[in-house]
Amino acid sequence: MIGLNEYLILSGILFSIGLVGVLRRKNLLMLFFATEIMLNSANIAFAAISGHYGDLSGQMFAFFIIAVAASEVAVGLGLLIVLYKKQGTLDLDNLAVMKG
Amino acid sequence: MENLLYIALFAPLVGSLFAALFGMTPKNLITGFVTSGLLFISWLASVLLLIHVLSHGTVSANMMEWIGAGDLTIDFGFAVDAITAVMMVVVTTVSTVVHIYSIGYMDHDKGFNRFFSYLSAFVFSMMILVMSDNFAGLFIGWEGVGVCSWLLIGFWYHKADVGTDVNPSISPSWAANEAFIMNRIADLGMLVGIFLIYWNVGSLNYNVFFDAIPSLDNGLLTSIGIALFIGAMGKSAQFPLHTWLADAMEGPTPVSALIHAATMVTAGVYLVIRANPLYDAIPNVAIFIAYLGTFVAIFAASMALVNRDLKRIIAYSTLSQLGYMFAAAGLGAYWVALFHLAAHAFFKALLFLGAGNVMHAMHDELDIFKMGGLKKVMGGTYLYMGLASLALAGIFPLAGFFSKDTILEVAINEDTYIIWFTLWVTAGLTAFYSFRQVFLTFSGNERYKEIGAHPHEMPTFVLVAMAPLAILAVIFGFFMEPFNEFVTTILPSYEMSHETHHIAWFFIIITTLIALSGIFYAYKKYASGLIRDKELESSFVYRLLTNQYYIPALYNNVIAKPYKEISDMLWNKVDMKIVDTTVDGIAHFFFNNGDRTRRMQSGNLSHYLNWMGFGAVALMLFAVIASMIG
Amino acid sequence: MDNILSILIFFPAFAGVLGFIVDKNSARAYGISVASIEFLLAVWLWMSFDGSNGSMQFVEMLPLVPDFGISYYLGVDGISLFIVVMATLMILLGMIGMSIEKDIKNMIISLLFLEMTMVGVFLALDAVIFYLFWELSLVPMLYIIGAWGGPKRVYASIKFFLYTFIGSLIMLVGMLFLAYLYHDVTGTWSFAITDWYALVLPIETQIWLFIAFFFGFAIKVPMFPFHTWLPYAHGQAPTIGSVILAAVLLKMGTYGFIRFSLPILPDASVYMITPVAILALIMVVYTAMIAYAQKDMKQVIAYSSVSHMGIIMLGVFAMNSEGISGSIFLMLSHGVVSGALFMLVGVIYDRRHTKMMSEFGGLASIMPKYAVIFGIMLMASVGLPLTIGFVGEFLVLLGFYNISPIMTIIAGSTIILGAVYMLSLYKKTFFGEVTNDENKGLKDLNSREMYSLVPLVLIVVWLGVYPKPILEPIDNSVKSLVSFMDKKAQTQEAKDIIVSPKKEEGK
Repeated sequence: MIGLNEYLILSGILFSIGLVGVLRRKNLLMLFFATEIMLNSANIAFAAISGHYGDLSGQMFAFFIIAVAASEVAVGLGLLIVLYKKQGTLDLDNLAVMKG
Repeated sequence: MENLLYIALFAPLVGSLFAALFGMTPKNLITGFVTSGLLFISWLASVLLLIHVLSHGTVSANMMEWIGAGDLTIDFGFAVDAITAVMMVVVTTVSTVVHIYSIGYMDHDKGFNRFFSYLSAFVFSMMILVMSDNFAGLFIGWEGVGVCSWLLIGFWYHKADVGTDVNPSISPSWAANEAFIMNRIADLGMLVGIFLIYWNVGSLNYNVFFDAIPSLDNGLLTSIGIALFIGAMGKSAQFPLHTWLADAMEGPTPVSALIHAATMVTAGVYLVIRANPLYDAIPNVAIFIAYLGTFVAIFAASMALVNRDLKRIIAYSTLSQLGYMFAAAGLGAYWVALFHLAAHAFFKALLFLGAGNVMHAMHDELDIFKMGGLKKVMGGTYLYMGLASLALAGIFPLAGFFSKDTILEVAINEDTYIIWFTLWVTAGLTAFYSFRQVFLTFSGNERYKEIGAHPHEMPTFVLVAMAPLAILAVIFGFFMEPFNEFVTTILPSYEMSHETHHIAWFFIIITTLIALSGIFYAYKKYASGLIRDKELESSFVYRLLTNQYYIPALYNNVIAKPYKEISDMLWNKVDMKIVDTTVDGIAHFFFNNGDRTRRMQSGNLSHYLNWMGFGAVALMLFAVIASMIG
Repeated sequence: MDNILSILIFFPAFAGVLGFIVDKNSARAYGISVASIEFLLAVWLWMSFDGSNGSMQFVEMLPLVPDFGISYYLGVDGISLFIVVMATLMILLGMIGMSIEKDIKNMIISLLFLEMTMVGVFLALDAVIFYLFWELSLVPMLYIIGAWGGPKRVYASIKFFLYTFIGSLIMLVGMLFLAYLYHDVTGTWSFAITDWYALVLPIETQIWLFIAFFFGFAIKVPMFPFHTWLPYAHGQAPTIGSVILAAVLLKMGTYGFIRFSLPILPDASVYMITPVAILALIMVVYTAMIAYAQKDMKQVIAYSSVSHMGIIMLGVFAMNSEGISGSIFLMLSHGVVSGALFMLVGVIYDRRHTKMMSEFGGLASIMPKYAVIFGIMLMASVGLPLTIGFVGEFLVLLGFYNISPIMTIIAGSTIILGAVYMLSLYKKTFFGEVTNDENKGLKDLNSREMYSLVPLVLIVVWLGVYPKPILEPIDNSVKSLVSFMDKKAQTQEAKDIIVSPKKEEGK
């Protein structure tokens, strides 16, 4: 039987994968993916807890997040393309123009 | 009478300011005449005041309030009683003579006008010192004479420093600073005395304080007495603050005559005499003063024995005579101290002015080994200096005989035989060194020819100006009885016991004998010429004495040099290396940390994200720990 | 003129703003006339001041932020009056004697702004206004040192700024805490100092507050060991900067102690006498020795300033009206004398572009007028009776003797040590032979320098002989301050140490 715990464990694993990706990957595109994974892990947790308590607001929140993530990806990918056209790379180590 | 008092006080100030107007212009005789004239007026006013005080008692005047703060009120208040009147007459007499003398003496000096300005300013300060009716006013005069003395010792400020082997006083400006600083050390003692009086009596007025003495605790009175006497020690150059006096001879000779013989250095004696009710109440301190005075008397006389410098010999004799005065005052014979003070002022000023004549004649040469035989060209000066030296040696019937013999008599009367014996020996030494100096200067072979000097006598008016002092040096002793009666209206009278009266003649004879033998020995040894005794001059004692018991060297090595070194060390090591570096260190700590953490801002998004993750974990951990703790 | 205090504060600032449109060539004349008017206003204030009344006069009150009790609150009493007069005088004379040609207009404007802040500090009776002017005064000074100073001017000015700024931040915390306490007790907010006077606080709190205020004031004074910014600031500042710094800015610190620490925290002040006095004694002796070790004339005078400020601190903590009146008088006399000495050093620096004593010698024969004025100021600096320097020093030592005889004797060594370093400076510079050929052609004081120095000489003598017109109003205010402290003090120890004058004020 798949219960709440399993969902939450999945969500935790996904979040960790995303976090490691955010911390370790150097490619901006990969960072995006990693953030998406983290957002989705949160969605899973929201949906699972919503189902567990029978409260719809959690699922509603998951929809919100999906919507926000979608628009964010749209804007973010646009920016990435511009950046790539300008710099010829998406590697973070080569993009340190704000060095203090 | 108040007007007379103000005239006596302010005439010198007016003269000083007048001369100061011409301070930066070339020599103008008018400054000399005006200041001398005003001094004469001041003298006249002082004499009239003396006569008035003689018949009517104390004259007092309150000019205005000076300082008022909290409960403290200090007025410019003046009171002329018998002591003050005597001091005023002595001061103005000597000053007037010295002023007139200086017109001749400073004839060729560039700073002629300036000199008279300083000299009159000194007289003004001295008048404040003796006329004030409170300790604060005394302190004004006290410091005022100190500054004038600084200005006058350093009068020839343009001379460069030389080593102590060439000139033991290094340079006039060095000697001036030394005198000022030494005096300041003593002034601190005096200030402490003033503070003690204020906080325990509530007023600095002499009379209020003296009236309160019976109600004050003995320990307190002792502290006050010691503190005030420390002040007196500085001004009167008592051991161990004596070194400045000999160095002060760098000043022009009239200055030495006026300040460093007749007036300023006696201020300390004046203070002790003035504070007689205090010292009567604390016999322990008084007897200490007497012993210290006795010690200084013989100590200074011993240094005078071997010195070759004309003025320094007289300076040491001044020191020695100040010792006599303190001995008398300490033994309770205040009027005798005052009498010796006055007598000494006259004959010592005369002696100095005579030395000034010699110096003038010898083109500022002071070494008596290079003189000799001057009596042929300087008969008048010889006469004056001979007279003054006889008075100093205490030969009947000159002034010094009466005053010095009375002091010795007091010592017998008090059964302080150590004091008597020491002073008795000192009398012999005094006679010897005075006449050693006279004979080496005026008799014997004419050694000055070797250094190519062409001595000449001073102008006649200078010699005439000195006459009043000579006359006083001769006749002043005969006024001892009236003097006694006059000053003991204020001072406690001092009566010799019957036994002392009986044997007094005996002591007079043996004192005169030792003085005469001193003179005789000097005559035998030096009158026919100078024969140098190499063996004696290289002996330890001789060198000890010529080097002033190595005390100046000691002060230099133990106080002056370490002070300079510690100061340098404090500045270079402590202030710059510790205090300031700590401050800069704190600043650098923040700066360096900022500089180091600046690297976090690498501009690399990945690094930022790592830091963010790290921060989030740290915050979470913190929250967890905080919730676990409580 | 009801608003005389506001006019005094803002007239120079207003004139400073107008100064931007003044032509560069007439900037100096403009500055001098503004400063003269300001000085005359200050004198007018003095003349219409009732000297026999020890309380606040010419009070102005205008609520600014009523919810927090912040108001524009000014007033003057005997303690602040003469510091204001002295500040305006020193600005005026400093401007007259100023020899700067570079960016003269900016200098004049900075000075006028500085004048506003200085006058403001001494007239403010609201802590916020006080703090405002206190901090603002740093800005023009930073600019004056940083723009017209010597080779290490940037280091010196930043050190000056940051050091004093950090101190005043701690003081600000103290002020806020005090206001909070006031709110706690009374239920209303107030930053008025006179309201704070009424606050009776527990001893523990008082001590914490005292320490907070201490940092702000002590760094400004500057007390040992916070004094090291001062020699740098003086060493690098132009003459006018040093004059103002020594004459007025340092006095803010000691004034702060009298205005805040003593009446608001009487018990803590008494409790802290010994530590403060020890620091003050170190200041007196230690910096006097350092002054003796200096090779640069200006540094000698800078360190001597610290030494004299130590005496002033002792007077403040003498806790009797003799000592406190003396210390306020000494603030004035030190302002006049050290200001004059810095001007005098400036005179020789303008001629030779060096201040090293070894470069000089025998100046008395070449520049007699200069030597005379320097000599008079020197004597005032070492506290010769009948000069301005004596009165304050004497009263301070006299007052503090009641607290501790031993400490007074140590502090009294200032009359010896002061003589040592000043006389050795004078000897090295003015006496002896003229050894350096460059000095032979030096010109004596010109008329501009005479105009700026002679008034100071006259003041030195006048107030030395007859200090009463100034000392009396000061003393009346101080007497009411001391009586107030005595009444307010809670511990018996404090009551014993604070000596109320027997004579009541105004008599």
